[in-house]
Amino acid sequence: MSIIQQLVSGIGVPNFYVLIPEIIILITAFVVFFIELFGKNKRSLITWTTVAGLSLSLIFTFVIVLGILNLITNPQILAHAKESGFYSFIISNFFEQYMTLFGLYSVDIFSLVFKVFILVGTLFVIFHLRSYAESKKTYYGEYYYLILFAVLGMMIMVSSPNLITFYIGLELMSIAVYILIGMYRKNYLSKEAAFKYLIIGGTGTAIISYAIALIYGFSGKFAFGDILKTLFYSDQTNVGLIGGLILLILGLALKASAVPMHFWTPDAYEGAPTPITAFMAAPVKIATYAVILKIMVEAFPFVSEQWSLAWAILAALSMVVGNAVALVQKNVKRMLAYSSIAHTGYIVAALAAPTTVGFAALIFYSLIYVFMAVGALMFLSLFERFEGWTNHIDDFKGLARKNPWMAFVMGAFMFSMLGIPPTVGFMGKLFVFLALIGSDIWWLAVLLVIMSIVSAGYYLKVVSNMYFYDPAKPISFNISLPEKLSMGILAIIVIILGIYPTWFFKVSTNLSSILISTIGG
Amino acid sequence: MVPYEYYVVLSALLMVLGLVGVIIRKNIIAMLISTELMLNAVNIAFVAFDFKLQEVAGQVFVFFILTIAAAEAAVGLGLIMAIYRMKKDVSVEKLTELKF
Repeated sequence: MSIIQQLVSGIGVPNFYVLIPEIIILITAFVVFFIELFGKNKRSLITWTTVAGLSLSLIFTFVIVLGILNLITNPQILAHAKESGFYSFIISNFFEQYMTLFGLYSVDIFSLVFKVFILVGTLFVIFHLRSYAESKKTYYGEYYYLILFAVLGMMIMVSSPNLITFYIGLELMSIAVYILIGMYRKNYLSKEAAFKYLIIGGTGTAIISYAIALIYGFSGKFAFGDILKTLFYSDQTNVGLIGGLILLILGLALKASAVPMHFWTPDAYEGAPTPITAFMAAPVKIATYAVILKIMVEAFPFVSEQWSLAWAILAALSMVVGNAVALVQKNVKRMLAYSSIAHTGYIVAALAAPTTVGFAALIFYSLIYVFMAVGALMFLSLFERFEGWTNHIDDFKGLARKNPWMAFVMGAFMFSMLGIPPTVGFMGKLFVFLALIGSDIWWLAVLLVIMSIVSAGYYLKVVSNMYFYDPAKPISFNISLPEKLSMGILAIIVIILGIYPTWFFKVSTNLSSILISTIGG
Repeated sequence: MVPYEYYVVLSALLMVLGLVGVIIRKNIIAMLISTELMLNAVNIAFVAFDFKLQEVAGQVFVFFILTIAAAEAAVGLGLIMAIYRMKKDVSVEKLTELKF
């Protein structure tokens, strides 16, 4: 046997099959990098390569989902599934999990579903990026491969079974996003926003790595499952591990912009180019929520009383401060930044109820949040291209008369963020509310309802400005059909999921039972 | 032989020093240095814990942290250059334009 064969037989070959979506994203990023470096007349080529890479990765993610459900490899099983009822069959195969790269990378349905939503959100961002950048004279090819690297970081993050993998994914994502914020050409606010995010995000990184050091020092392990066992078998309370957990919660709350550590959010959101703001508000955010849920449930289930209280306090503060400050904002982009802080509050509020229902509510809300956040910010990015549009709240006056379709779309997103019944935002808030009541956390549930009512003050102002006023400025909007269609698709998803959330909620419930099934496994 | 706890305390002190630096310094270069100081404090903690556990996994993690600190410093210095070209200043008080 040659040395290579001995090596392979000794340590085994990692299962590259389940890594195909990540590998495709990585290769696409490098291809875009070289096209940007050497190509001529390259703008459409870069866009289409990025779109192709993301779509291909999306397709392979679906293929792996089907593979986990065992539908491709074995046709007999498929025939059997048709006989015995499709849904019950899928459930029985739901808990399969692939570990690869020597236990440093896990692929299961939980991570795959989040990957699908990250990729879909990114595709919508890429679709609108070029026209925005060209109209603002800030086109760089770098946007595309930095976005791809950030997506790769998020995909690594959501399928990490291990603090090392989690940390690498988080930093790959964060550093790419720091650069993306500062890429607005000749715009000082963008540089300032990027620097603020870099300093505060860097502090968050240091806090998270110190937390990892403490957890490693007092348990001797990095993998979530091993940390759990150390906590389970230790006789007395392990002070070092609890200290590490507190620092980890603080660092993750900083990355998710929960309130005591939210200072960077409004500035970074306002300074960044608007499509990048949408990218930060949707895919980056849901990856962070997913990883928060994963670490809390898989590594620290036996101290759930402590961390659920911590997240409840963070959620309550985020709701109150986010909504209160959003009320006085005149700039809609900055208002949406504060509303995203409030939404962080609604989403992590579900962690206050450490039950299957609570985790399902968190997953459901963070998945639907992609459509609302991308939709609302993409609307701004479409309109910012026109001369005279400043994102000020008065610019929305009379929009319904000039452009009824876009006004309707924006209205749908605003109602969904507010949580009015025919839209999906209502369902998200309802499930969080039910989860909180189910665990008898009445104070937070009541606070959630009150804060939702307060948020009507700023969301409805946008809608009423669009519908009940005469146009204030003579701006003409010509928005092309594909752009209208893409916004329409997002709005229709928001409304249809609001009317029929059953299937989506089943998926979230199953995902949360997957998470719980991995405890101790 | 120095006990490992001393190194952990040293790293905690450096961490706090970096955190205080980020909060109170008014010079953007000093702020960037403070974040780097915090990441290096973490490195000391990892090596100290490896000393206690008689393992090497923590020292491998230190390499990742070094790489990430370098990447962050590169991005941060690039941004400082861009800011300095536009404003000819490095003081936070004169640079802040995004406000409540």
